[in-house]
Amino acid sequence: MTGNVILSLDKMQGGYGDVTVIHGFSAILSVGEAGFVTGRNGVGKTTLIRLIAGSLTPSGGVVRLRDREVTTDPAHRRRALGMSYAPQEHPVFDQLTVAENLTLHHRDRSLNRYDELLTLFPRIGERLGQQAGTLSGGEKKILSFCRAAAEETDLVLLDEPTEGVQPENIALMAKVITAGKAAGRSYLIVEQNLSLIEMAADKAYLLDHGDCVYEAANGHGLREALSKRMQI
Amino acid sequence: MELIALYGLNLVYTIAVLALVVLGLAVVFGLLGVMNMAHGEFIMLGAYSALIIQQAGLPYILALPMAVLVCGTVGFLVEYAVIRHLYRRPFDTLLATWGLAILIRKAVEGAFGRDYKSIEQRLPGTVSVLGVDYPAYRLALLVVIVALFAGLLIWYRRSNTGARIKAMVQNPALASAVGIDTAFLSRATFIFGVSVAGLAGVLLAPLVRVEPYMGLDYLLSSFFILVVGGLGSLEGLLVGSTVIGGTDVVVSAISDKTAGYLSILIISILFLWLRPNGLYAKR
Repeated sequence: MTGNVILSLDKMQGGYGDVTVIHGFSAILSVGEAGFVTGRNGVGKTTLIRLIAGSLTPSGGVVRLRDREVTTDPAHRRRALGMSYAPQEHPVFDQLTVAENLTLHHRDRSLNRYDELLTLFPRIGERLGQQAGTLSGGEKKILSFCRAAAEETDLVLLDEPTEGVQPENIALMAKVITAGKAAGRSYLIVEQNLSLIEMAADKAYLLDHGDCVYEAANGHGLREALSKRMQI
Repeated sequence: MELIALYGLNLVYTIAVLALVVLGLAVVFGLLGVMNMAHGEFIMLGAYSALIIQQAGLPYILALPMAVLVCGTVGFLVEYAVIRHLYRRPFDTLLATWGLAILIRKAVEGAFGRDYKSIEQRLPGTVSVLGVDYPAYRLALLVVIVALFAGLLIWYRRSNTGARIKAMVQNPALASAVGIDTAFLSRATFIFGVSVAGLAGVLLAPLVRVEPYMGLDYLLSSFFILVVGGLGSLEGLLVGSTVIGGTDVVVSAISDKTAGYLSILIISILFLWLRPNGLYAKR
């Protein structure tokens, strides 16, 4: 392994019970890179990211974070090793306040680390004392995005961060991701929003029926190539 | 006037004792979802811890750490061997802890015998409050319980550990993703719950008959309170204790003990039927 690789996935397999959803997904992500996994609904994108995050145990394959194998490590240990994760469903703690959602996992419970993010997304800053369950779906996604983005881990996993989020805030998310990449962080993001992919991706994987059917670097024509393949 | 004051004190005292008794179960069942049928047995272990300290001739205050040691150790072993495999399978925890309850009762019976033990009163005599001579130990107990709950309420609301426990209860997958070791936190919470039950046993031991089967009554009233109050919050626990304790005291005063017990049963059945989440459900 070169020192430049942050995440390597080798023939990942997994699913729920007897049903295998992912049939052997391999990928390598370098430091400072953003890889996007896309595809239609129900092709296994969320299952894949849950296998990487440790919310699901893989039935086969290997996950490496830098040089360390983490395939069977529980999620909280992966977090300690430098992997943060914002899930698609139930992205926040509904019965805690917005502020508690942002601070409960930090020993110092300080909101200072969120200064920049809260300036970008003032709606979150205005609602710090409110129960997170009262936020709209899009606001919950932004809250979850802020929480993961401020954890200062080497790798950030995001599952559909733009679901229900307005276009101007999606552009801001792209800005945060790009700034993070410049600071040496890497991202693996499940996303159907082609605009975010166009703005922030280094490469994209198209998933269908649990297999990677198309892989391409970002550049001219990626959006068209992906949207054409997703229609079929 | 004095009679009213006496009934009032009895009412507050009954509610406070019930709240103390149910606290450990509220933690273990309300937060972790473990239907701990051995809850009463942990209270009993606490009372026997007091007995051991008394028989050894040590200062009674040492019964408190002794109970934490005994219940904490038993709790740790039980969680490690059995409970941790059964989280989110409430019916299985019910069966497992029912077996555990029998085991603890028989073990204590084997070691100490079936007969009643009594724990010596440390604070004999009475104190005059509101024109009534009230037993000093009861008053002291009341103060301790109120202080315990006030401290616990503030801690649970303000502390990071409180927030982490709430986070884990609501959304275990996300809690783990943000870095909380949920297996460890569950174990710590379970041990805390059964240790609190043990402490309740120590505090109540001088007032009750200490025997291996004493836990059964506590188990029943604890479940009644949680049915009425709702799971997952201290507020619900206090509301449930007030409803159950209040009904018992008032009906018993008007009629007799049997009518009091009967009315508690009826209230619990009505709640299970009409309002299964209780008055103050948090989840």
